[in-house]
Amino acid sequence: MTGRPIIIDTDPGVDDAIAILLALASPELDILGICAVAGNVPLAATRVNARRVCELARRTDIPVFAGCSRPMLRDQIYGKYSGESGLGGTLLPDPSMPEQDGHAVDFLSRTLLSAARGERDKVTVCTLGPLTNLAVALAMRPEIAGGIEAIVAMGGAFRVLGNRSPSAEYNILADPHSARIVFHSGAPITLAPLDMTFQALATPARVDHIRDLGTPVARAAAELITYYDRNDPERYGAIGGPLHDPTVIAWLLETGMFSGRNAWVGVDCEGPLTFGHTVVDWWGKRGAANNAHVLTDVDAERFFGLLTDRLGRL
Amino acid sequence: MTQLPIIIDTDPGIDDAVALLMALTSPEFDVIGLSVVAGNVSFEHTLANTLKVRELTGRPDVPIYPGCDRPLLREPVYGLFSGAGGLGKAALPEPTLSAETEHAVDFLVRVLGEAAAGHRPKPTLCPIGPLTNIALAIAHSPEVVAGIDRIVLMGGAFADLGNRSIAAEFNILVDPHAAQIVMACGAPIVMLPLDLTHKAIATFERIDAIRALNNPVASVVADLLTFWDRRDVDRFQTRGGPLHDPTVFSYLLNPEWFSGREGFVAVEVASELSMGHTVVDWWGQTDQPPNALVLTDIDADAFFDDLCRRLARYVKSAP
Repeated sequence: MTGRPIIIDTDPGVDDAIAILLALASPELDILGICAVAGNVPLAATRVNARRVCELARRTDIPVFAGCSRPMLRDQIYGKYSGESGLGGTLLPDPSMPEQDGHAVDFLSRTLLSAARGERDKVTVCTLGPLTNLAVALAMRPEIAGGIEAIVAMGGAFRVLGNRSPSAEYNILADPHSARIVFHSGAPITLAPLDMTFQALATPARVDHIRDLGTPVARAAAELITYYDRNDPERYGAIGGPLHDPTVIAWLLETGMFSGRNAWVGVDCEGPLTFGHTVVDWWGKRGAANNAHVLTDVDAERFFGLLTDRLGRL
Repeated sequence: MTQLPIIIDTDPGIDDAVALLMALTSPEFDVIGLSVVAGNVSFEHTLANTLKVRELTGRPDVPIYPGCDRPLLREPVYGLFSGAGGLGKAALPEPTLSAETEHAVDFLVRVLGEAAAGHRPKPTLCPIGPLTNIALAIAHSPEVVAGIDRIVLMGGAFADLGNRSIAAEFNILVDPHAAQIVMACGAPIVMLPLDLTHKAIATFERIDAIRALNNPVASVVADLLTFWDRRDVDRFQTRGGPLHDPTVFSYLLNPEWFSGREGFVAVEVASELSMGHTVVDWWGQTDQPPNALVLTDIDADAFFDDLCRRLARYVKSAP
């Protein structure tokens, strides 16, 4: 079986790391490359963390590229839940696999342009961090949108409140201008917002199931996720942290465990209070053409079952 | 003579064309390349016009890099004064050479990266259109800012009123987000806003002096500038059009003809009413350190005399 070609654009980050592991464990996916971007932690850390995760899974064949080191316009903000290094207190060893030469934006442009020209299958771009890399590529060459099979993006918050400001989700808030460029690019988008990812809560029992697999990868994953606990049961209904990014990969593997709706989505880049808020026209009031499929629900039991099963294969 | 290495980012456009004709006949400049952006007219036209202007100068050695064909976030707006094709009714030669295949943003990142690494002298960037290409080079690789000697740009309006909206000058209005990326990038910036360029009017007398040079390039310039007339004596106290873009090169050649002040400049990107307005802290009312030298005055007679002298050089070299 030939896997679905994907590129992962990421800012690891604990939940990014788990998402990358899930993708690496899944033969349905052919990972053409991983692009690092500044986000949860500075680029200097994300570009190294991406390779740390590949080496943990013994997949040193995956090309890893470094991309943009800051958002387009706004001042840089970092994540709050991944620790200083980006991978919590977990000490994954320094990677020995090399980073690829060349800029992540150029890798995206080259690959998507070749798909747009029909020289290769169209590519699914999985974005797990701020959208700077993809936005710069799209702004330089809008025609690369024709080479994108789908953009599956973790980001946004519609009817739940923000996680980095009262109204905005972190990945969008960190670079709202880039998010607007991507959302309006014409490429088909599936959005995994907080409304859905808050349901994917890594409770202690679920983390135990992963740890009990006993393999080095599973133990490391469990350690990462444990660090990621929000200790905020009032908000999430239980102990544990929402495992945002892996839902993007899970959607590619088992679309049936998710539900959602097509809608028009915009990004606020102007409001002092709503900066970075994703606005969804859920009831079709604007009459604008839908630009995204917005996921609202996930079967969390199935999701953690899939994740645990796949991590056991690494 | 040590030449000043420059990169011209342009969207021809009539005043762009005159600026290019001026710069490409000035031995003081080493023009590393022309990067093209959508602006006065659609990208298809700005690229074609840049090729035509280069053809007219007989400078096939100056490479042309195709850049961004639309603004970062906003819908495109085009200029009002350059005619449908961007070069009025002037007859320019059809180009025999094509543009490079390298994207203008990649070109900027490459050359500025080499300069930042000390492998070549730092170029001066001369943006005379919307700032999309320059902004994307900065977003792509922020470290290349260290490879910029200065950015000397035509754009903005702060005490003077806008020319494409009530509050905004055209180059900034087209892509205010790109302009703000450039303004905040940390490189030394010299800004030539409408407050200055509205003092450089191509009056009929000045156009006559250019036409009297009686060479093929000067004739084209005279035709372009005749088309450029604003017919707005109320605003400009005379017939003629403001010759915005060539002032950038005049400043590089003869800074003593210009005056202004250092100040903090930022671009409005949030309010639709004042979108693209360049706010200048002229009186130091904020705590923001200056990020630009803002020029407000020009010796217009010296500028036009010098433009004439330079265009006269085409008498021998033009095809």
